[in-house]
Formats: sequence, structure tokens, C-alpha cells
Amino acid sequence: MGIKKYQWAITMAALLFGLVLGLQFQVNESLQQDTTTERIERLAQQIEHKKMELKTLQAQVEELRKKLDQETERPELRRIKNKINEVGILAGTVPAAGPGIEVTLNDSDAVLEPGENPNLYVLHDEDVLKVLNELRAAGAEALAINDQRMIATSEIICIGPTILTNGNKRLAAPFVITAIGNPDTLYSALFMKGGVAEQLKQWGIQVSAKKVEKVVIPGYNGAITYNYSGGERA
Amino acid sequence: MKKGMYISLLITCCVLGLLLALQFRTTTRNMPHDRPQVLTQELKQLEEDYQMLMAEKDNLQTKLQEIKDGRDKTYEVLQDELKKLRYAAGLEPVTGPGIEVVMDNMPENKRPEYDPKLFSITYLDILRLVNELRVAGAEAISINGQRLVATSEIRNAGNFIDVNLTRLTAPYIIKAIGDPEKLASSLKIKGGLVDTLEEWSISVTVTQKDEITVPAYAGPLELNYARPLQKGEDQ
Repeated sequence: MGIKKYQWAITMAALLFGLVLGLQFQVNESLQQDTTTERIERLAQQIEHKKMELKTLQAQVEELRKKLDQETERPELRRIKNKINEVGILAGTVPAAGPGIEVTLNDSDAVLEPGENPNLYVLHDEDVLKVLNELRAAGAEALAINDQRMIATSEIICIGPTILTNGNKRLAAPFVITAIGNPDTLYSALFMKGGVAEQLKQWGIQVSAKKVEKVVIPGYNGAITYNYSGGERA
Repeated sequence: MKKGMYISLLITCCVLGLLLALQFRTTTRNMPHDRPQVLTQELKQLEEDYQMLMAEKDNLQTKLQEIKDGRDKTYEVLQDELKKLRYAAGLEPVTGPGIEVVMDNMPENKRPEYDPKLFSITYLDILRLVNELRVAGAEAISINGQRLVATSEIRNAGNFIDVNLTRLTAPYIIKAIGDPEKLASSLKIKGGLVDTLEEWSISVTVTQKDEITVPAYAGPLELNYARPLQKGEDQ
């Protein structure tokens, strides 16, 4: 069966038609696809942008957390607190601990000869002042008598068997002087030949001391008042 | 009959063309249909994360500000305390009414002849004098510019006296801030320190002043042995 020319033509036309139809579909489809691609691109851009924003924000939050940690740690507060402690130990308001010695002074137990002046055999201001002074010279960093902290204005008044100090604090014998510092240096300062301990012993005043690994010295508990000293503080 | 064949041929060709076109399409399309949805979802998630972090940031900033404000206040309070302590410790100069005491040795040729050394000022004289001033309520004391702090020693060093590890020579000028009347009379009281010292040929002049300045302690501050007692540390 011979194929006629027009039959070929029809076949070609039909094929072409089919193709065109199919392509039309495809064009429609790809048009749709174009909008999808655009959308995807736009979305991808947005996502990229958001991710960057998020990254920046995360960095900021991280930074804030770090700052917050620092703030709660408060390094400058710790510094000033350390300074307060240091100055407070010198001022005498901060309780202190450290190695040192404990010196016990007691009135004479000498039996007086008739006619002897009993006044010679009791503890005098001077005796206590000398002991304190000697300990200071030997580098004592904090001092107390019977737990009364010695500050810059602490006076010593011996009246009979008592010592008055820090305004109105009455201390009773035995008097225990505590000092923080190098125990060996403090000890030998008192007990060296011709030293304070020897001088006091001449009057029968009992002096004993022991080196201590840890002495605890309370803070001055009175008010430090200034009625006369002017300054910015007043 | 011929017509029917043409029609069937036409349909077959149309279908073939369609198939061909479809074939093209399926091969060119490589993006999945659900991609935008996935991306939208992802974007939504990112947006949520962003909002959450934003809230966290605000929260942190508020906290930080609160702490900063609190810290500034605490810092101020602590600074005030430190300042007060520095005064109490003697680390600041102070000015006020008070007295000035000048202690001096007599010229050696004017002292009693047998032992001039016996008639010179010793650390004990100054120690006593300082104690008297403290009893009379002295708030700040210095000797030749050396502020007396809680750890200041007064020590004989030959013909000199050491205070705060610093060598001082006569005349000794002792400045004390406090009630001038009270301070002066505590020394000048009959049978008091001035009388005693003068018996030992030591000249003492006491001058009441409306205003004197006692310098700050300039010595070392560091502590090698004492440390602050920790809270709760057993005594």
C-alpha cells in the first residue's frame, strides 16, 4: 500500500500538532515553574538574610550573657572589698586572723616585805604600753588586749587590777595580749636579753607567751567618732 | 474506511506528540514541587528562633541594667565605707583644732652634769605623752610628720627615735587633733607629764591651736601575716 503524499503531510501535521500541544503544556508548566523558582529564590534569600540576622543576634546574646556573668562576678566590687579588708585591718574594724603570739600578763605574785610599796608590783600603763610597743616594733599587724582591738586611738589606763581602754572598756586580769605577725620575731622581741619581759619580771610581773599558729583578733566594736577632725568626711 | 484510518492515525500521532512533549517536560523539571513549602517552613522556624532570641536579648539587657544600677549603688556604698576606713586607719590627712607639743632636750651643757644621756628624751617619754593624749580623746596624732596608726611603734634608736620605721630627731613636734583645752590640760595637770619631764630637764611647750593638720600615714600597707577573718570561720 503506497503512501500518498497527502497522507505524509497529515501524519507530519498531526505529529507537529501533538508536539505543539505538548510544548504548550510544557510552556504553561515552565511558566508555573518560573514563578516557583523565583519564589524559591526569594525564600532562599530571605532565609539567608534571616540566618545572618540570627547569627548577629546570637552573637549579641552571647556577649550579653558574658557581660552578665562578669557583672555578677563583679571584679571591681571584689577589688574594693579586698581594699576594705586591707584598710580595715589597719583601722582595726575588720576581724583578723593569722599566725602570732599570745602574751599573758599578770600582777605580781610576790609576797611583799613589810614597808614595801605594793604599787611597784602592780601592772602600770607603761608596762602594757611597752609590751604593745615592742610587739608593734616587731611588726605586729593587729593587736588586742583581752579581745579589745587596739586601734590608732586606743589608750591604756591601768587602775588597780583593771585596764581601761577604748573609751570605757574595762578589762580584768589576767591580761592576754594577742598579736598577729611573725611568731618568732614577736616572741624574741619580748624575751630578748634586757627586753620588756625581763624588765617586767624584775617587778615580779608574770609574763608568759606562746607562739600560736592561728590568732583570731576581733574587730573594734566601738564607734570611731570624729568631733574635731575636719576633712571631706566630716 | 479510509477516513477512519486517517482519524486513528491522527489520534495516534497526537498522542505520540503529547508523549514526546511530556517526556521533555519530565526530564527538564528537576525541582521538586514541595521545595517552596519546605523553605517557607524553614523561614518560619528561623523567624520563630529570631523572635525568641530577641526576647532573650531584651531580658538579658534588662537584667544587666538592673545589676549595673545595683552594682553602682553597692559600689558607691563600698567606696564610702572605704573612705571612712581610710580616715580611721590614718591614711588620710585630717585638719581640726588641737595642740602642738614641742619636746626638746636641754643643751647638753645645761643638763645636770653627771649623765647627760639620762636627761634626754626617750621613747618612753613620748609613749607616755601619746597615751595621755589618747586618754584625753585625741583623734589623730603625729610625731614629726609621722602619723600614728594602730601599728606604729615608738622606739629608741641611739640618740634618735624611730616611728613607722622612720628616724626622727629632737625637737619632737607632736600634733594632736581633739579638744585643745582637754588635750593641753591632760599634759599640764599638776604632777602630770609636763611637770615630770621638766624635772628631767626636758623642755615641753604645749600650744593650743584652732587648726592644725595631721598628715596621712605614708608607710607600707601590705599585710604579710594578718588576713581578714572569714565569715563563719570558727574563732
